[in-house]
Amino acid sequence: MAEKPRIKLPKEAKKGEVIEIKTLIAHVMETGLRKDQDGKIIPRKIINKFTAEFNGKPVFSVDIEPAVAANPYMQFTAKVEESGTFRFTWVDDDGTVTTAEQQIAVT
Amino acid sequence: MRPALTVALGVLVALTLPIVPTPSAAQQAAQANGPAPLASGDAAPSPWERYTGWPARDTSNFNTLANPKASPPSPTEPKKLAGPVTGDAANGQKLVADRTRGGSCLACHIMGPAGNADLPGNVGPDLSEIGNAGREDEWLWNYVNDPRVYNPATIMPPWGSHQLFSETEVNDIVAFLKTLKSPAVFKTEVDNPARRHTPVEKRDNLDATTNPAMWAVDKGEELYNKREASSGQACASCHGDAATRFKTWAAGMPRWEPRLDKVLGVEEFVFRHAKATTGANWLMESDENIAMAVYLRNLADGQPMQVDVTSSGAREAAERGRALMEVKVGALNFSCRDCHDPQRGGLKWIRGQWLGEAKGQLDHFPTWRTSLNQIWDIRRRFEWCNVAIWANELPPDAKEYGDLELYLASLSVGKKLSVPGIRH
Repeated sequence: MAEKPRIKLPKEAKKGEVIEIKTLIAHVMETGLRKDQDGKIIPRKIINKFTAEFNGKPVFSVDIEPAVAANPYMQFTAKVEESGTFRFTWVDDDGTVTTAEQQIAVT
Repeated sequence: MRPALTVALGVLVALTLPIVPTPSAAQQAAQANGPAPLASGDAAPSPWERYTGWPARDTSNFNTLANPKASPPSPTEPKKLAGPVTGDAANGQKLVADRTRGGSCLACHIMGPAGNADLPGNVGPDLSEIGNAGREDEWLWNYVNDPRVYNPATIMPPWGSHQLFSETEVNDIVAFLKTLKSPAVFKTEVDNPARRHTPVEKRDNLDATTNPAMWAVDKGEELYNKREASSGQACASCHGDAATRFKTWAAGMPRWEPRLDKVLGVEEFVFRHAKATTGANWLMESDENIAMAVYLRNLADGQPMQVDVTSSGAREAAERGRALMEVKVGALNFSCRDCHDPQRGGLKWIRGQWLGEAKGQLDHFPTWRTSLNQIWDIRRRFEWCNVAIWANELPPDAKEYGDLELYLASLSVGKKLSVPGIRH
């Protein structure tokens, strides 16, 4: 019952418009620096990379470091020239890759 | 005597609590099908164990909401001192700002240079010039040790009587108080509680990219439709379309339940009803229970809260809840009202934290806690209030918490549900 990433972007836009995109994914973002109650290091487990593509072309990407808080939230903009699909990818330290897609109609 | 007293209380409640005449449509429909089956027994893990990461201190020698007779009795007379107080003023200055001693003095008082005047509270008077007040050493000593000997209505903790400070430490604090002769100098404007900005919550709690607790709404919906292996039944098997069926239901909770002789909130009701019908074992404070509570309250978002505090049983429960607000609990010896009534500590600063008032708080629970990355229902909030003032918490399904929740809900009547909330 993994939580689905949240995506917020307009369903429609005008050609050449700069749109705002917001994403949120559920993740503990364990830094690898904390200790548990027995004094043992809690192993690092973070989302280390996030990318956004539009119709297969890169739009935005970021390497994420342990300082980023739990449930990483991204807000960025993109200029859209044609209708198509945004595809978002989150890469976990353990190799898990989570993806989400959303379409936009450009007129 | 007994019946007369009950009638008198009833009149009092009827006069002072909001009156709610009609049950909601959903409640009427539920009643038409007969009372909802409810499982008896514990609704929370038993024996109850405190949450991981919470202070482990055992304060069972002090009052709890269930046992208001555990704390040592208040002394009746000030202690006579043989001579002037001699103590280590430098150590006293450290002690008054020691956050490990239940927040210590600076939580409520500005005290000159103590703690570098870093975010002192303003529940109590500014003591920065107490050294000029001409107070006897004995008066100062007894006031710190146990202020109830001079003012039985005080909300100040009995620091010495409840062994938060030893007699030597009280000496040191008094020695420091005597040095306080000029107004505090604040490094920044917001260190002065009179100039600090009142916190305002402006985030859109129902925006899924803002509030991670919105994932619990998804999870609750899944659980609502999930068939339990043992019975083959889901909530949806009997209740059908949740959005229609539960459009108002949660706004009428908590509710007095005569069969169990206690008040049930959404969380406890969900456990007992699911256990008795689908067989799901959604104990209170489990992820499933919280998700269902968030989901069911979310379905009633925008509906004005209206709870029954007038029918037989409900009226008495709400009155017990009101009385519980005055019970002094914990080593710090605070009642709910001491901190949350604007006539006392409410709407003031306790160190850097703002104390909200009791009324109008129940519209947004369960709520996301951004500082903790957790969803807290109202019962966990009650438990933290208890532990934070050095009182042992009760299990989430405690009858006292039910009474308290009903009374507090009655102070939120008319507010529109907005769940999940989001708070620091």
